[in-house]
Amino acid sequence: MAVYKLEGKSTRILEKIKECLDRLNEKMDVMIEIQKHGQRENLEIPDVLDVMTLLSLPDHLRKTAVTLCKLDQATAEEVAEQTKRARAVESGYLNQLVIMGYLKKKRRGRKAYFYVEKEA
Amino acid sequence: MGKIIALHSYKGGTGKTLLSVNLAATNVRKGKNVCLLDLDFRAPSLHAVFKASNSEYWLNDYLNGVCEIDKVLVDVTHEHGRSGKFFVGLANPATEAIREMSAKDRKWEMRALGRLLSLKTSLLNDMDLDYVILDTSPGLQYSSINAIVSADIVLVVTSLDASDIKGTQRMTRELYDLFDKKTGILMNKVLAEILSSKKEKAKFYKHFNNIHKLPILEIIPCFCDVLRAGGTYIFSEEKPEHSFTKTLDKLATKIEKF
Repeated sequence: MAVYKLEGKSTRILEKIKECLDRLNEKMDVMIEIQKHGQRENLEIPDVLDVMTLLSLPDHLRKTAVTLCKLDQATAEEVAEQTKRARAVESGYLNQLVIMGYLKKKRRGRKAYFYVEKEA
Repeated sequence: MGKIIALHSYKGGTGKTLLSVNLAATNVRKGKNVCLLDLDFRAPSLHAVFKASNSEYWLNDYLNGVCEIDKVLVDVTHEHGRSGKFFVGLANPATEAIREMSAKDRKWEMRALGRLLSLKTSLLNDMDLDYVILDTSPGLQYSSINAIVSADIVLVVTSLDASDIKGTQRMTRELYDLFDKKTGILMNKVLAEILSSKKEKAKFYKHFNNIHKLPILEIIPCFCDVLRAGGTYIFSEEKPEHSFTKTLDKLATKIEKF
């Protein structure tokens, strides 16, 4: 009985560690993108993800952005399923679009969801 | 699952509306369930073809978030259906509505794109339609680019006008390619003498395939009978044995396999 209790506790601790690592990973993605594209202040000009913006994006980001528009709200994994690219790659692109002010990100449990802010 | 087809062109007057209406009617005649939407908010036309100027709800209302798409659709199966179901969604032709639509901001256009993208679920899945055909406005306008992004297939209607050919080439590079769209060319109003023999026709196909770097899906000759009809009725419906109707039959088959 004591062994089961210990196993259950270990699983919860491991899950917590995995969750923290996932969050850390996403924060690292954001930091990498910020480093790649200079100062955060310059990138924080909020913009609208309309078709003219989509046309002006580089090809790799456009594919991610159009896919997210079609899905309305999605995780990096769901976007990766559509684009046939790796989850980590899509996570990087989605976070870059968040930094650029075109997308929003919210957490639900352990999952991070990306979406287009449609309200005024 | 069905497909969304957008008919677009660089210049106005290439015959997008005529081809949209007749392609929709051709597919209905073949037993397909079709919905034809007028996305040319600057110059609405379909209300005149389907003689419905007093709709309670328009596509403008759907994009404004005032109502859902089922309120906008007019069932014209009784008047125009043969084997399949036929629905149309009309753009509001009132001057005030046209003015209002041309003054929308970018945030509205972004929301409109979301509403158009959701038609894939509401029309193709929920209503089980085979085709949604979007008649768009020419050139690089918000409503037409929104339609292109929402579509599975883009049919570009071009004439033999030099500026139209150049503009279409530019749009292929700077619009359709960027959105990875399956795109085909419809060459409309081609003079019959250019297509006098099979050899000449093959030469014509090859020449324009090289120019546009896209498949030429159909070459539609300029028919005086079609011009004479003046859009007062659906030509392919009234004249099933006419060469224009037979050309559209071939086009519908090609699109099915495209």
